[in-house]
Amino acid sequence: MLEVRGHARGGQGMVTAFEILAKVFSRLDQFNVQAFPAFGVERTGAPIQAFLRVAREAILNRSNVYQPHLIVVFDESLLQQVPVLEGIKPGGALLINTERPSSAFAETGAKVFTVPATRISLDFGLGVKSLPIVNAAMIGAVMRLTGGDLNIALEAIRDNVPGKPDANAHAADAAYDALEGPHMPDAFLLQMLAEDQSAAPVLTEPANEHYPAYSGLDAPAWSEPMSKNKTGNWRLNTPVYLNKRPPCNSNCPAGTDVREFVKLASEQRFAEALHVIYAHNPFPSVCGRVCPHFCEQHCNRNELDGGVNIGAIERFLGDFPGDAPPLRPVLHEERIAVIGSGPAGLTAALRLREQGYAVTVFEAMPQAGGMMRVGIPKFRLPDAALDREIDRIRQAGVEIVLNRKVSVPELAGAFEAVIVAAGAHLGSAMHIQNEHLALEGLTFLRGFKLQGERCGIQAGDEIAVIGGGNTAIDVARTALRLGAKPTIYYRRTGKEMPAIAQEVREAQAEGVGFEFLIAPLSMQEAPGGKTLLSLTRMELGDPDQSGRRRPVPVAGSEFTIPTDKVIAAIGQFTDRAAFGEAVCKAAQGQMEGFDAIPVFGAGDMAWGGTVAEAVGSGNDVALEVQAFLRKQPYQPPLRENAGVLPGMMNYNYYMPSVRHEGLERHSHNLTGDFAEVNTGITEADLTAEAARCLHCGDCFRCGNCMNYCPDAAILMDEEGRLRIDYDYCKGCGICVQECPCSAIDF
Amino acid sequence: MNSTIANKKYPRHRQKVMKGNFAAAEAARLCRVDFVPSYPITPQTSIVERIAEMVSTGEMDATYINMDSEHSVFAAAKGASLAGARVFTATAGQGLFYAHEVLHAIAHLRLPIVACNVGRPSFPWNIWSDQSDSLSQRDTGWVQFYGESSQEVLDTVIQAYRLAEALDLPVLVVLDAFYQSHTSENVWMPDQDLVDAFLPAKRPGVTAIDMDHPQAIGGLVPPEHYGKFNYNYWKAACEVEEIAEQIATEFTQQFGRSYHNVEAVNIGPQTKIVLVTVSSITTTARGVIREHPDVGLLKLRLFKPFPKMTVLDALRDLPPDARLAVMERNFMGDREGALFQEMQRALYQRPLEIMDFYAGVGGKDVPPATVTRIIELAKKGGTQQVMWVE
Repeated sequence: MLEVRGHARGGQGMVTAFEILAKVFSRLDQFNVQAFPAFGVERTGAPIQAFLRVAREAILNRSNVYQPHLIVVFDESLLQQVPVLEGIKPGGALLINTERPSSAFAETGAKVFTVPATRISLDFGLGVKSLPIVNAAMIGAVMRLTGGDLNIALEAIRDNVPGKPDANAHAADAAYDALEGPHMPDAFLLQMLAEDQSAAPVLTEPANEHYPAYSGLDAPAWSEPMSKNKTGNWRLNTPVYLNKRPPCNSNCPAGTDVREFVKLASEQRFAEALHVIYAHNPFPSVCGRVCPHFCEQHCNRNELDGGVNIGAIERFLGDFPGDAPPLRPVLHEERIAVIGSGPAGLTAALRLREQGYAVTVFEAMPQAGGMMRVGIPKFRLPDAALDREIDRIRQAGVEIVLNRKVSVPELAGAFEAVIVAAGAHLGSAMHIQNEHLALEGLTFLRGFKLQGERCGIQAGDEIAVIGGGNTAIDVARTALRLGAKPTIYYRRTGKEMPAIAQEVREAQAEGVGFEFLIAPLSMQEAPGGKTLLSLTRMELGDPDQSGRRRPVPVAGSEFTIPTDKVIAAIGQFTDRAAFGEAVCKAAQGQMEGFDAIPVFGAGDMAWGGTVAEAVGSGNDVALEVQAFLRKQPYQPPLRENAGVLPGMMNYNYYMPSVRHEGLERHSHNLTGDFAEVNTGITEADLTAEAARCLHCGDCFRCGNCMNYCPDAAILMDEEGRLRIDYDYCKGCGICVQECPCSAIDF
Repeated sequence: MNSTIANKKYPRHRQKVMKGNFAAAEAARLCRVDFVPSYPITPQTSIVERIAEMVSTGEMDATYINMDSEHSVFAAAKGASLAGARVFTATAGQGLFYAHEVLHAIAHLRLPIVACNVGRPSFPWNIWSDQSDSLSQRDTGWVQFYGESSQEVLDTVIQAYRLAEALDLPVLVVLDAFYQSHTSENVWMPDQDLVDAFLPAKRPGVTAIDMDHPQAIGGLVPPEHYGKFNYNYWKAACEVEEIAEQIATEFTQQFGRSYHNVEAVNIGPQTKIVLVTVSSITTTARGVIREHPDVGLLKLRLFKPFPKMTVLDALRDLPPDARLAVMERNFMGDREGALFQEMQRALYQRPLEIMDFYAGVGGKDVPPATVTRIIELAKKGGTQQVMWVE
């Protein structure tokens, strides 16, 4: 009878391998076979044994194999952990899965054969590096040792493995060829079939008196520290705490570490929280008020009970009276000019100044801030909030020159680089008959903001506003505050409006009229200074490139209304004066078409359309300019949105809670009332709201892993951080499964 | 290459290599079982998993239901059997203990259910081979067979349905954990038509539900009527030994493999020691006694009702100074183990001396050396009648 013993870890496939070997031998020569495992505890990674008997006669032994002719070791590390060689028959063989040569195991005194089964298995895609499935390769090596017909084994492997039959067969084939060891006669192991089992020493006394005396408990008990039972060497997969990108961070165009500032806010560490925002965004007061909050739109808490009110938190922190930023020293000779003092230009200027460059910002208008200044009405963004954030940038050392409309050619020579961030301040035309009768929305907002220019709008006037973006809403709400009766005409439905939803809701609440699926056709002058506006009804057709359904006119639905004023707010474009005569395309980063001085583009003129996007654009262009000046390579930052998605969260571990909304001021008579509508959030509400953060992808020390770890291998250190003690972690993965926020992974 | 080998040894069979648990599942398929309620428990789980797989692929035409506990499993088995279905299930250890109450009901309702139990002990917590679970159910009224090999499990399940349906009694077929349940070995798999010829379609049982004549079953029985609900059941129990032997003989004629309620090896006038065994330890004992011409072996295949007549017949030629050495892989909370108790009862007023050896409880391996040690201790004799050899 031939007896084989295998040593492996649970999960490596040894039990299946021995079962297949039994089938192979039964086919080789109609041998009688017997294969069975000896499991310890039922856990992946635990040392296990398997046994195989092959005989021509009936096998009259159902006990474990104690004196094997062949010992098969699936995991080399077991040689140090369990008495693998125990009982090996004189002349017996040892087969080890290893990269090392057989000569490295000379001290075992056995005939050692080696096979790199792990490498072979991984080459054929069997298992993963942390858990290679080596059983087929080991079968191949055993077949070589026994001299059996490999083809029978390959067929049995194909029939019996749970998946990848060809890959497994190829691995067995490769291992058959890769076996290394002393030269032995063919099928030397099969010669041992003739040997009978040698007798083991026999005890002749009963065990009765050998048991310990009764101590009052006939059940296992453990009073020693758990630390005595080190089981970390069972581990095949290693859990680790990770810091994964949460959706708020990965969706912020400015790159803000939203999760971190929300966490700090929940701990009432407001100055530090502001610092975290400021590292990416010098306009938290502005963004807290006017940003569409991509972070909030993608907040994983939306799947539970409503996203965290990040906008309100950011606004609170922006308004928080932090320390005045220090004046940054000039460290470099190169001077940098920035054309445009909007969020992109000022952000780029601040970043470069922080890096030690002298920066001068040229602004054509009498006040700094770009679209933040002239495009957003005071009832959404009070001047004081904007002024303070621009002042901070000035205090850092950025020079802002107002009322200077410059172009690139006139700056050459005085500066080593120019950033053009001229924005998009020109309104698009509607291209309809008598276009000149309409007022352009941005012009109206700018004139009113800078000079209080009413553009002839009188109390009681009927105003038709054409468009569906934020400009249309701002125009309508401004007109409303001048006492007029504005109505917004939009060619699609409310669902497709690009304006921020909350602004739309507020406009409706204030009394702005909305007419959807209507587009302008023409205008005619009418007596009494009125304008006759011809309109057509629209319907939604097939989706266009933006994914929204394209509006198409409904034939015969044309109608005409008399209005006091038509204001168009259908889009904007860039004033190219900054480029001089150059032929160029406004784009992010270094632009082609300039010889005298390197020119870099940023802001709305390149991409985006929100303050947050302009800030991100400014951050990026500053890095590029710095790399250019220091002659270093520049890689645009990756804006991938991968991160912790809702499916990776364990929502059951979070208590539902009500979102804290910001306060709104409602007035019965808005005429002449340009005070801010939203008044923010109280400090008490703010900390409660920040505490609603789910901490996606970042350990927040909830201790769930510690509670669930069956091996007490997770501990909280003296600073309250959770730590895995790998002396005891078996790699079961319960912590990975039960982490509420996906902060643990293998 | 075909995955099975046809052979002249057993016509209309195919040779396979399979685990005991798979043999049990295949037996259920070959017996054309209609209904399998199940609940997983180590080391039984792969029986019901394999059946679930065969039902899902259409290899087996049965209704398979995952229940919420073993108590529910046996309750569902009871209901389905009352409705006329041929029912199979499998359990182990705590699962069998949990179902204990329903086991009595099934037996007294005379339902011919066949279940496999893969033995493991109760407490301390242990998943390894031990017969304490099934042996402690010996008084529930279920017939109990213990199998030695995967082949024997397969063949015994087939015989068990014949016996169960002949006498309207439930049958438990017991496997050893791991040494049998998870041991891959050579098995001869009979063709379906061979089994069909031996085991006809199930006839309606005596208590089968008749939808045209609805009735409530299992109500309260007052003392004056209680006896009559036990008398017929007692008569059936008394017949088991004889009917089981008849069915085993028929099975041998049909399939070519020989089975008896008990098996005697090397028991005769020359025998000094007889090892008394059940299940997989028997195989190892067979190997050991080849070296001991004065040692015989008595394997108990039918354990409950205890085959007293067959046992006495097997031992009839023993010299009066021979000793029986009983091997117990169970602990019944008594001085002697379950096998000893039954053997002593059978041998009442006989001159034979019996010794009892606890060996292999909780799955402790019983290698040939342990069997040899028991033989040596039995030969030595002495006043210590019960010993632990591990």
